[in-house]
Amino acid sequence: MRGALTIYRRELVGMFFGPLAWSLLCVALGLSGWLFLAVVKQSGGDVTASLRYTLGASTALLFLPPLLTMRMISEEDRSGMLEFLLTAPVSDASVVTGKFLAALTFMTLFWSSKLVYAVVIAAVGVAPDWAPLLGGFLGAVLVSGLFCALGLLASAAFSTPMLAAFMAFVANIVVLFLPVFAGLSESEKVTELAASLSVSAHFELFLRGVIDSSAIVFFLVWTAVALFAAVRLVEARRWR
Amino acid sequence: MIQVRHLPRRFARLVALDDVSFEIARGEVTGFLGPNGAGKTTTLRILAGYLPASSGFASVAGYDVLRQSMEVRRRIGYLPESVPLYGEHRVGEMLDFQGRLHGMSRVERRRRVGEVLDLVGLADRARQLVGTLSRGLRQRVGLGVALLPDPEVLILDEPTSGLDPLQRIEVREIVRRLADRHTVLLSSHILPEVEAVCPRVIIIHRGRIAADGTPDELLADLDRDAHVRLEARLGGDAPEALRRLSDLSGVREVHDRGARGAFHRIDVRADEDLREEIGVLAVRHGWALRELSWRRATLEDVFARIALELEQEQVGS
Repeated sequence: MRGALTIYRRELVGMFFGPLAWSLLCVALGLSGWLFLAVVKQSGGDVTASLRYTLGASTALLFLPPLLTMRMISEEDRSGMLEFLLTAPVSDASVVTGKFLAALTFMTLFWSSKLVYAVVIAAVGVAPDWAPLLGGFLGAVLVSGLFCALGLLASAAFSTPMLAAFMAFVANIVVLFLPVFAGLSESEKVTELAASLSVSAHFELFLRGVIDSSAIVFFLVWTAVALFAAVRLVEARRWR
Repeated sequence: MIQVRHLPRRFARLVALDDVSFEIARGEVTGFLGPNGAGKTTTLRILAGYLPASSGFASVAGYDVLRQSMEVRRRIGYLPESVPLYGEHRVGEMLDFQGRLHGMSRVERRRRVGEVLDLVGLADRARQLVGTLSRGLRQRVGLGVALLPDPEVLILDEPTSGLDPLQRIEVREIVRRLADRHTVLLSSHILPEVEAVCPRVIIIHRGRIAADGTPDELLADLDRDAHVRLEARLGGDAPEALRRLSDLSGVREVHDRGARGAFHRIDVRADEDLREEIGVLAVRHGWALRELSWRRATLEDVFARIALELEQEQVGS
């Protein structure tokens, strides 16, 4: 645990000392703010719906986690930093967990901008409907967690950051649009299975303001599975 | 302090380590010598707990490197050849990070970072970004990182590679200062490098221990191949000159390396340095000298010979 916190702290510092985090944050915040304004205008001033829409917008979800996590393992393996970390008195699991938490913190920071919008709008006059907002925020953070874990898994599996980012991006698309892909199949079982595994369906619950413990468990379990696989891949590197 | 028994390590198709066994006592400073690809880094990585051995047994400070990896990692300072450092951190922060990894308290870290910066001569660079340091300074930061937890065992992989001669001397000085407090195992492919710092040298070749002893013992071994190199115009009768050389007392072998224009190049192997005697001979017979020198075998020669012996052994068995 101490090891994971040490790695987490280092990753955050490293992230915000480099240009990547700031550029991503700047562009992503700009785009989502612009999207928000566009939706507010179209919906005739429905603030809650607009905020929900920006929280549920999957673009940031698809792009940001792969870009954040792509270098975390593959590049450190190339530079030799991984050798340093894996011979330090911390477990492989805490190395992966620390890096995961750093990426998740970044994503949480990003999503919290929507809460800032809501607070400002509430202060100016129109009080938004808080339940779907807070639910949407929690959901967005949980989905980001899953995608960060997938990104780390890709970073552990592929030797170059570019390839890792691309594969993580593909994995995110597959996961997010699983029901759409499953729709190709005639079999009812496949569609049912895809629906029960659907990230977007579970996320939709949060966006409606429903905080369902089974949905929380759904995200936590799949995130844990991806992280576990990433830890195993890091361990497997030693045997290559 | 360090114990290695029958350590093999195979990568998919390559046998990196064949069968390596050695022991290093507490406080010993040992040089691990061998050409590139001999298995030095692999052995050090196994000891540091980065790579598992395919079988066999290795222990550091009494702990099995495979089963009690954490205990081992707490007790070693390992500096890989690539000198991994986070370029975006300041020197002091990098050392502090290592302190945190080793679970040191804030007070302890502050004290130790100061001590280590003094030890590696970087006290005035604590606030400089690691990424902006020269190769030599980076190497010193790497040493500092390895030293920070005050480990019982220091494992340094090629600590002087890529440094200029002055920087090499600096690093050597630091390592020598460490010798009385830590057990040190360092690797190199340069003999004088190891000779300068290590009272004990282990030569490894093709994944096997080829020699193990003090530098003096190894040099005595090297001196078997020492010879006088003569390059001279021998006049008309070269075979006659060669015969005269062989007749000198103590000469084991006279090897004519052939003529270059009017000059012959000849190696004279003897039990001792016969330059004076050969000089006298040259004056007496009017050979025009171009070179008369005492040549010790280089490390490459020793490796070549060791390799040959190992191969013959393998063919024989």
